[in-house]
Amino acid sequence: MKKKIAVYKITFFLLLIVALVTALYLGAYDFSQSMIEIIGTYLRTGVHTPDSYVLIELRIPRILMAVLTGSALAISGTSLQGLFKNPLASPDLIGITSGAVLFAALTIVFGSTVMHLLPPFFRYALLSIMAFLGALLTMLFVYKMATSNGKTHILILLLSGVAITALTGAVTGFLTYISTEEELRNITFWSLGSLAGSNWWKVCLVFIVVAFGSIQLLRKGKTLNALMLGEKEAAHLGFDIEKNKRQIIVISSLMVGSVVAFNGTIGFIGLVIPYILRFVFNSNYNILLPLSMLLGAVVLLVADTISRLIVIPAELPIGILTAIMGAPIFISILINYKRKL
Amino acid sequence: MKKILTILTLAVAIAGCNKKEDKKNSADGQDVRATEIKTDRIVSLNGAITETLASMDASGNIVGRDVTSTFPADLKATNLGHVRSITAESILALKPTVVFGTTKDINPNLNEQLKNANISLILINQEYTVDGTKKLITDVATTLKKDNFQPILDNISSKIATVKPFVKKPKVLFIYARGAGNLMVAGKETPLHSMIELAGAENAAADLTDFKPLTPEALLTTNPDVILMFDSGLKSLGGVEGLLKVEGIAATNAGKNKKVVTMDGQLLSGFGPRLGEAVVELHNKLQ
Repeated sequence: MKKKIAVYKITFFLLLIVALVTALYLGAYDFSQSMIEIIGTYLRTGVHTPDSYVLIELRIPRILMAVLTGSALAISGTSLQGLFKNPLASPDLIGITSGAVLFAALTIVFGSTVMHLLPPFFRYALLSIMAFLGALLTMLFVYKMATSNGKTHILILLLSGVAITALTGAVTGFLTYISTEEELRNITFWSLGSLAGSNWWKVCLVFIVVAFGSIQLLRKGKTLNALMLGEKEAAHLGFDIEKNKRQIIVISSLMVGSVVAFNGTIGFIGLVIPYILRFVFNSNYNILLPLSMLLGAVVLLVADTISRLIVIPAELPIGILTAIMGAPIFISILINYKRKL
Repeated sequence: MKKILTILTLAVAIAGCNKKEDKKNSADGQDVRATEIKTDRIVSLNGAITETLASMDASGNIVGRDVTSTFPADLKATNLGHVRSITAESILALKPTVVFGTTKDINPNLNEQLKNANISLILINQEYTVDGTKKLITDVATTLKKDNFQPILDNISSKIATVKPFVKKPKVLFIYARGAGNLMVAGKETPLHSMIELAGAENAAADLTDFKPLTPEALLTTNPDVILMFDSGLKSLGGVEGLLKVEGIAATNAGKNKKVVTMDGQLLSGFGPRLGEAVVELHNKLQ
């Protein structure tokens, strides 16, 4: 078994490398020099040519953002599914993404005067902190609604998600109509997501959050495995369940929030990745957590590359692609669920 | 061990961010120095600007255009699609030396990316008035260092001067259509409002601001004498017959008399160098 896991890890890692290189070379812009020459020239002169600008300021940050976003959404999804003991508990379905979108939109509208004064790093930090708060509040609300006596009612969980998504959709829609802020007017961005706005500032910030968050979540494998037995049983095994739950909730909200603040709603990654992995490894979270990060990064990077290429010179919102991949899997989970009833 | 690792990662990331800041500053410095604007490869992201460029014999230099740049029809530039979905990479792929656009069309993100790429970005605040159009033409001409633009301005003024006021101002309602399910009327602060007034008529929807969805009740309250549409818009409804099937239209004066006027979209709403022709054409069609 151990050997098999190592093989998978290496395979996924190689896939990621292949996807990275492919994504680097494909796009609307054709480079006149090789990548190494472009970067070399830039490092020597410190002045951007159009080639080096597209490569260093547009394409590389975007690729890194795709990798970070994919892994963040996948590992949060996996952890939440473990926490709620249900394969449907992904951040977008239970409304956490929507909560983050709502707070991000509110910050852009009501914080615009303050935001323009701040240097970019703090501006982005403020936005992601607010999105984090939105995600956290929704998460707490949904959790309180759906849990009683240590048991989660999946129906209430999903319906709370539907309610919050509807509320957020309404408020965000209203804000996009009244707002004069250009960045908010683009409602497709918020509803279908896009990585086109990535720059090094955002990548830095998301990297800090994802690095911190995933190091914490990767250590929760044992706890999540124990949780499968039930909360009381897990507590009897010596796990501090309440503390672990709190940590998972806060960290997942933080990761989802910061990713959503910059890239809009990118659905289904947190649902699909753990689902695919569970086919192979059953529900061993020690394996699921690291592998979901790798696979999430690969899948989102491939989706983003396709979204850049499929309608050149324009771009498809990435949410369309993730939904095409995700919705059939969502349906198949529901069919499985029905059989069990 | 893991805590140390975490702290190390964070430290490296923050250091990386700070370094980036230094680089940004030096890039800004270069922006200021690059004042000389080369105009041999132009991307134009606005129909009126494209027309202006073409009227100054620069159409051969246009390498990229947006979806509204439909005139002149023989333009050989790459169509980049709708201005809101254009990405920096596809613009840079055309290796432009200068990008033209209007302030309200270009989103701040793209604006910033192009600026950082050291592309000269000329943003024009387009106003839908005669003076606004003249200013746009003058601005474009200044950028191109052309001085033969005065005849274009005079042409606009003289054409508009020929428009005689109507004895009784007709009430004109502009309907923007993309199929029967998507109908909007043009209120104040739209190019259509200004066009209708320039042609000597009255905008039936002047109580509204911006484009608003068409409702049957509002149609009957405003009761327009003439309905004005883009050629493409009327086509999307299936001609005059299709328009009359839209609820409320048949009961208006315009519907009863089948008074529907259509014009080319870019000509009617572009506010470019053909403004004079457009006003005259609209005026004649309203008679």
